[in-house]
Amino acid sequence: MTVPKQRQPLLFPSKSVTVGVGDTALVARVQAGDVDAFEALYKQHAARIYSLASRMAGSPDEGEDLVQEIFLQAYRKLGSFKGDASVGTWLYRLAVNHCLDFVRSRRAKMGRVTDTLDAAGSFEPVSQRETPLARIDLERAIEQLPAGCREAFVLHDVEGFDHKEVARLLGIAEGTSKSQVFKARMKLRGLLARRT
Amino acid sequence: MHPNEIVINDYVDAALDRAERADVERHLAGCVECRELVDDLREVRRQTAALQPMEPPSRVWTRIDRALRQNPRSARPKWRWLPVAALLVIGTAVGVRYVTSARPAAPAPAVAAPSANGGGAAAPGSNDSAGSRELAKSVEDDLLQAEQHYQRAITGLEQIANADKGALDPHTAATLQKNLSVIDQAINESRAALKAQPTSEPAQQSLLDSFKTKIALLQDTVALINEMRKGNDAGAARIASGLKQKS
Repeated sequence: MTVPKQRQPLLFPSKSVTVGVGDTALVARVQAGDVDAFEALYKQHAARIYSLASRMAGSPDEGEDLVQEIFLQAYRKLGSFKGDASVGTWLYRLAVNHCLDFVRSRRAKMGRVTDTLDAAGSFEPVSQRETPLARIDLERAIEQLPAGCREAFVLHDVEGFDHKEVARLLGIAEGTSKSQVFKARMKLRGLLARRT
Repeated sequence: MHPNEIVINDYVDAALDRAERADVERHLAGCVECRELVDDLREVRRQTAALQPMEPPSRVWTRIDRALRQNPRSARPKWRWLPVAALLVIGTAVGVRYVTSARPAAPAPAVAAPSANGGGAAAPGSNDSAGSRELAKSVEDDLLQAEQHYQRAITGLEQIANADKGALDPHTAATLQKNLSVIDQAINESRAALKAQPTSEPAQQSLLDSFKTKIALLQDTVALINEMRKGNDAGAARIASGLKQKS
């Protein structure tokens, strides 16, 4: 069995970002104050950013508020967009940073440094598997994850950052990132099994 | 003994080297629990990778659109206090214009009135002196009013700028302080010149010009702080560059 090549560290994940045809012209129109052009930009990128925001926040309602803030911020900041990356990549970076600010701020308000699961130090092997993991509402299960491991899980498993990048983004050690992602997967395994 | 959780995680992520992978696979060959765990974790990964982007509800764009149209970038005030500063400056400009237009015209040169009885004319120069003194007094009053108007605007802008001066980098703050010191020195020199010669037009103009320059500098400071608060680096750099050129 061949071992897949280790992902090279990327500043941002390798999952493709839509590069719209006519990005430059669209951005120029937005920079000139064309709100219709901004709506076109929104329609191109909103789904990806909303998905990121909702999953990071653990709530579609929070996700809506975050998307609104992110795009309003983007509108204000597009004047400084230099075109050295696609506008989609630029928007995504803005969104990741904004979501991280949100989760840090929320954590600070709640006075917690890390969230951990109640799992034991080692994994919990399931002794009996009754039904396959099918008909799963994975989105709802992700929402139920504790904040700390949900953020690591979303960044790693959903958004495609490697552990080094996740650690840098979340301000944690790489080993902690691996541990949090593992615990999130274990929790999801348990949540998903209960629903079937 | 079961492998460590990080090892299992790395195995699922295919992040182990050949020797470590072989160790895990040897264990899995004899451990049903661990095999089921690995299968389940791979299923979680597989389903996660298959997650699709979610479309936000249409109300999200509606709210963004409304926010943009209510506060279009060009018309949106730069900072919540800037309208106050603008009013102060407008009020000052209006006040100065009012003061200038209200200044009494220079009295006409005195003409000796024929005496009723043809007697001697009035002493030459006496009316000129009175008129000049009156003019000088009027100019002083006008200038005082103008200075008060400018000073009110300057005080208001200084309060705004000082409240958030911490937002400026030290180099920019030092440049601004230096510029303000130069202008304040010019104001003091103009005042001294006017004290010696109240009717000196160059001194009057110099004082008013210095006030205008100080107001413009404070307005730029407020605008710079506002751009930095908004995170508009390009806008801030433009204003800062302009400020450095003026120093």
